[in-house]
Amino acid sequence: MIDVVAVYKKVIGATLLAAQLPGRFYRSVFRGGYPTTVRQQLATVVNNLLLHVHPTRLYNRSLEPQTTFGLGLICFYLFIIEWITGIFLMFYYEPSTGAAYGRILDLNYTITFGRVMRNLHRWAAEAMVVGVALHMCRVFYTGAYKPPREFNWVLGVSLLVLTLALSFTGYLLPWDQLSFWAVTVGTNIVSYAPVLGPKLRYVLLGGDTVGSDALLRFYTLHVIAVPAVTSLLINYHIWRVVKDGGLAHPSENRGADGEPVGQRSDSVITTFPKVVYLELLVFLVLMIGLMVASLLFNAPLEEEANPLTPSNPSKAPWYFLGLQELVGYSAFWGGVGVPTILMIFLLVLPYVDRRQVGVGVWFARERMIIIGVWTLILIGIVVTTALGIYFRGPNWNFYWPWENWPGPH
Amino acid sequence: MERWLAITGLLLTLVLGWTLWDASEQEWTRYQEAYYRQAVRLAQKGSQRDWASSLRTEIRQIQLNGHTTVERCVTCHLGYDNPAFKNFAAPLRTHSELLQSHAAERFGCAVCHGGEGRAVTTLEAHGQGQVAAKPLLRGKYMQAACYNCHGTNTLPPQATAGVVRGRQLVNSYFCLACHKINGEGGEEGPDLSQVGSHRSWTWIYAHTVRPQGVVSGSTMPVFLLSRDEIEDITIYLSTLLDNRDRLRYLPLLAKRVVGEDPAQGWVATQRREAPARHDAGSPLFSYDGKKLFHGAGCYICHTIDMTGGEVGPSLTYIGRKRNSDNLTRLLKDPDEILPGGKMPQLYLNDLQISALVDYLSWLR
Repeated sequence: MIDVVAVYKKVIGATLLAAQLPGRFYRSVFRGGYPTTVRQQLATVVNNLLLHVHPTRLYNRSLEPQTTFGLGLICFYLFIIEWITGIFLMFYYEPSTGAAYGRILDLNYTITFGRVMRNLHRWAAEAMVVGVALHMCRVFYTGAYKPPREFNWVLGVSLLVLTLALSFTGYLLPWDQLSFWAVTVGTNIVSYAPVLGPKLRYVLLGGDTVGSDALLRFYTLHVIAVPAVTSLLINYHIWRVVKDGGLAHPSENRGADGEPVGQRSDSVITTFPKVVYLELLVFLVLMIGLMVASLLFNAPLEEEANPLTPSNPSKAPWYFLGLQELVGYSAFWGGVGVPTILMIFLLVLPYVDRRQVGVGVWFARERMIIIGVWTLILIGIVVTTALGIYFRGPNWNFYWPWENWPGPH
Repeated sequence: MERWLAITGLLLTLVLGWTLWDASEQEWTRYQEAYYRQAVRLAQKGSQRDWASSLRTEIRQIQLNGHTTVERCVTCHLGYDNPAFKNFAAPLRTHSELLQSHAAERFGCAVCHGGEGRAVTTLEAHGQGQVAAKPLLRGKYMQAACYNCHGTNTLPPQATAGVVRGRQLVNSYFCLACHKINGEGGEEGPDLSQVGSHRSWTWIYAHTVRPQGVVSGSTMPVFLLSRDEIEDITIYLSTLLDNRDRLRYLPLLAKRVVGEDPAQGWVATQRREAPARHDAGSPLFSYDGKKLFHGAGCYICHTIDMTGGEVGPSLTYIGRKRNSDNLTRLLKDPDEILPGGKMPQLYLNDLQISALVDYLSWLR
């Protein structure tokens, strides 16, 4: 005879066990309940792989938008978006001169989500170049590169160069007229360097002209080499932020007597939950903006690359147009002189400008001279770049943006 | 904070929904559904009905040249090889009987029709989308495509009549005074030897009607041509392709061309078809020097009595400056009298030159 009660008990027991499974799984990942006490909130950050790059607590001031505008975080998110969309594109792309352009057309026309993914990849890349530049300006104008953060500034400068390298190597891959001639012009700028210039161009292109070897090289650099180095440096860069004492804060400033000056009292909050939520919010807003842009605006694409018919004007990618503009006046200064001087200036800056004044303060009065120098350089870059983008027509002649270029259009 | 997260999270979900809608809303599925409905309706035998109801909604394509050329025209133009759709409207309509000698599986579509074969929206596939592709060849412009493969020898004359007339017109209006075609002609305007590859026929047409409407600041004059003349010139210029375009479909044609080496066979047919030098003795001109002056396009560069171009010197009093012997030599070979000058070689015959010299000597 069946023991009804025993069976009944077993069924109830199994049901209860099943009902507890999700909770057990959740608690196996996130130990403890939702952190409510300060002690638990500190532990949450320390014990979580994703969160532990944060400090466990920080100044309330660090969360105010005007402190950083979240630019470093935005650049990091953009890099992740580039990575994910890039993997999607790699499923379809083929780095050969015969097939590349057709694959891009397929992405645009037939592949599900292909157009949106390509647009996302493109617009996030453009945003990353702008974002990294703005991030660097924020760090400069708030004096956040001063000791003990000199080396992190150097890492940041390296990341700026890597961002440009990522963008430039990706520029060639669609293999359309725009990318072909932009890379032809861009690598010509490289070749103006004395002695090594032409060799460097040869190594970069795997030949004297942009061809199938150049496409393969740019592809390999774009999807493996440069992203790998960039990922490592981004980790290092973010890790160093905490190791160097967190965000620059006015309390680090010293007067002439070496004594601390400026505000010292600032409330401290725990990283969890407010910072984590805020970072999630920034991601959501960024993602919405990028998605809408990608649905509405298509990434540029012209007809298939044709080495026999140069486009006129042939323009480098927009972030190199300042250099191309300078090359128009002097090949040496545009191709070598100015970029070298700028790089030396950026790398040496934190080791020369060491005075602990104006740290964590926008446009500090005590730093007016160096701020003036930086602003002048910035204006120079923006003006030459804008000239290259908007005011240059066929044969690199000057045209107002509202003027029609002579020749076919 | 939680409220903002909820709001932005909801917004992102909406945007993702928009993305899904954007990906699922496909023009071609409507044409396919219409075609399948009609195919079932028109089926007469049980086997036809079974075939029609087994069709799936899917992108269809023809691959050529070892799969490097992909054409998806048949995704919408489904009835192209189904005789039952003879009386339907595009895109379902049956292809003309030309398909029997030009199997789509072997030649594809774009070799004759142009357009962007990879696209699956009307706008982009027909060459009017964001990417600068070639607009579809339509109506009599199809002659350019026929000519590109067949030349004039093997087809009935009316099949390439526009190309032949266009070539005659280009010669008789002395377009070569300013433009070079296949190494022959002037330097004033751009070389037209490959214009069919670099410009669409719609561009060439608009440019021939009024150059300044397409190329701002163009110094090319507006020729008062009839509509037929413009069409024929456009057809002829559309046949001037660069080697890349010429060779694009070579593997397909190779099977038809005589000779072991397909490339050689192709070149041979091309040589046979090379445009004859323009016919200097064209009866289009009576050798009245004054008419010839305007017919040969001299006035494009030279002014007489306030009318004409300003590229070359005014010829209002040229009779005082040069004697007839000097003028004759100059027109025969401009480089001899004016070495390095802009004056182009016009390839005039002796009768034309003497008529022109008579007229020019009279200007004093």
